[in-house]
Amino acid sequence: MTFLATITSTLFSLNTVYVMTGIVLFVFAALNLLDRTNKTRFGTATFWLTLALIFALGSVLPTWVLGLMVLLLVAIDGAGRVGRGVASDDEVTMSGQIHAKESKLGNKIFLPALFIPFVTFSFAFVFKRLGLNPNDGALVGLGFSGIVAMVVGLLLTRGTLKEAFQEGRRLNDAMGAVNILPALLASLGVIFTASKIGDLIAQGIHKIIPGQNLFLLIIANCLGMALFTMVMGNSFAAFPVIAAGVLVPLIVKPFGVDPAMVAIVTLTAGSTGTLMTPMAANFNIVPTALLDMKDQYGVIKFQIPFALTIWIMHVLVMWIMIRTL
Amino acid sequence: MHIPEIFKLLGIAIVIVGLALRLRTTLVVVTAALVTGLLAGLPLFTNQGVFEGLPYLTQAGSQEGIINMLGRAFAENRLMTLFILTLPAIGLAERYGLQEQSARFIRRFKAATAGRLLIIYQLFRVLMGILGIRLNGHPAFVRPLTYPMTLGAAEATARVKTVDSLPVKTVEKIKAANAASENYGNFYGQNLSPVLPGILLVYGVMKGLGYPVSLWSLVKFAIPIATLSVVIAAIQFWWFDRKEAKRLAAVSESRQ
Repeated sequence: MTFLATITSTLFSLNTVYVMTGIVLFVFAALNLLDRTNKTRFGTATFWLTLALIFALGSVLPTWVLGLMVLLLVAIDGAGRVGRGVASDDEVTMSGQIHAKESKLGNKIFLPALFIPFVTFSFAFVFKRLGLNPNDGALVGLGFSGIVAMVVGLLLTRGTLKEAFQEGRRLNDAMGAVNILPALLASLGVIFTASKIGDLIAQGIHKIIPGQNLFLLIIANCLGMALFTMVMGNSFAAFPVIAAGVLVPLIVKPFGVDPAMVAIVTLTAGSTGTLMTPMAANFNIVPTALLDMKDQYGVIKFQIPFALTIWIMHVLVMWIMIRTL
Repeated sequence: MHIPEIFKLLGIAIVIVGLALRLRTTLVVVTAALVTGLLAGLPLFTNQGVFEGLPYLTQAGSQEGIINMLGRAFAENRLMTLFILTLPAIGLAERYGLQEQSARFIRRFKAATAGRLLIIYQLFRVLMGILGIRLNGHPAFVRPLTYPMTLGAAEATARVKTVDSLPVKTVEKIKAANAASENYGNFYGQNLSPVLPGILLVYGVMKGLGYPVSLWSLVKFAIPIATLSVVIAAIQFWWFDRKEAKRLAAVSESRQ
């Protein structure tokens, strides 16, 4: 490793970014604690403070302490103690349109947002050139892009740091505990694997589809993913189960397939399920209310022909990619 | 104690039933994880440090405990929540009119028909995905922006001045098509960025399963389906235009 690469990998490491995220979360926690309009301000502040600590100290604390902290997060959310203040609720105004300040910035207002992908990709590129892991580059870049975008935004709008953090907190509060869901679901996948759930499902499917018929296994994989997503209303929740139970043991392992190729197609096979289920209320039911539709299932009905077509495409694309690449 | 293998699937049943009953998702997921681990005979804690030799909580041997696993996996996957660092910047931009300017940007696209407008909106949504920008599209863009624009296009086709003169069936279909355009663009566009949650979830899960993948190859292999989603949707919206054009032409004729 060259001198430059060593400097880069210590200064611009994932750990630095995790600590910075911890600091931002700490500020969000403090702002919530001071927000008297938030009826659950103590629970909310404890939740974000705990997450801040997991972020900042995740690489040094013993895993059992981290595990208990995760349980604490879930307990606070489970008890309904993660909320947001009335003031921030008022500012959300669905599209955030009413409370925006008058400004004559025009298209320049896109600049901070555009710096995020720009910095992210630049980091990935530089990491790659220095012989470091470009995956880490993208993630470290994402972290630093937030800081760069904030500085650009402050210079551009002449807004204050306080405004930036209050507005950031508004967005964070609006998402709430959903923020931790992807990491939680990935953890569920790890525990499923350790419990050998995958092998169990794989054996069951092998009883229905004997032998090594790749095409039928692809259908089982994409169908399982879509159906699981329809029942759970969430393709992210279905993915760890299907990946551990079908994709890896029945397709990736026996056929020696590139895992990246089939994994992402499996995830979007779940999205076809999302298009057809009322369980995904945010996407299919809430809009009918927003648009004042007569038929609660109007959006789903419109989406079904598209979803079925693209589901068939998933099977074909996966099959063709495995056979040709 | 030996538990029949099949009972290990109880965890999956908990996820399905819990989410179907709309119970708190985080609680359902962690309960399923704990139950699955316990039924598989895993100890709660690893047999080391303060827990060494404790009955019930640990087992002899070096098997990793469920709580340890939960903490380790969560910490390893906290990269999925890194976007929190971008929230102050995005929030600040919104305070100074990011959403309004986006609205102005979209309004500039004048299209003759509702279907064509929605094709453009879906492309815009895919572009946002490529840039890794998160939008809450239904309330922020569809309701205040694309929906009125598509209605306007339909009114022009039917040569009427108000929504009330449009066939109810057409208006309802336009509403559904608007919501669908947002969903299509969002679901398939977001996997074109290595820093949006879909890609990061796959990255984390596959690593956990012992098959590490790179973020970039995930994005690369998301391209075929994303492209097909745009093509298939364009065909659907084109077909939609054709069908509704007949209905709207009838309105236009009956008024002459």
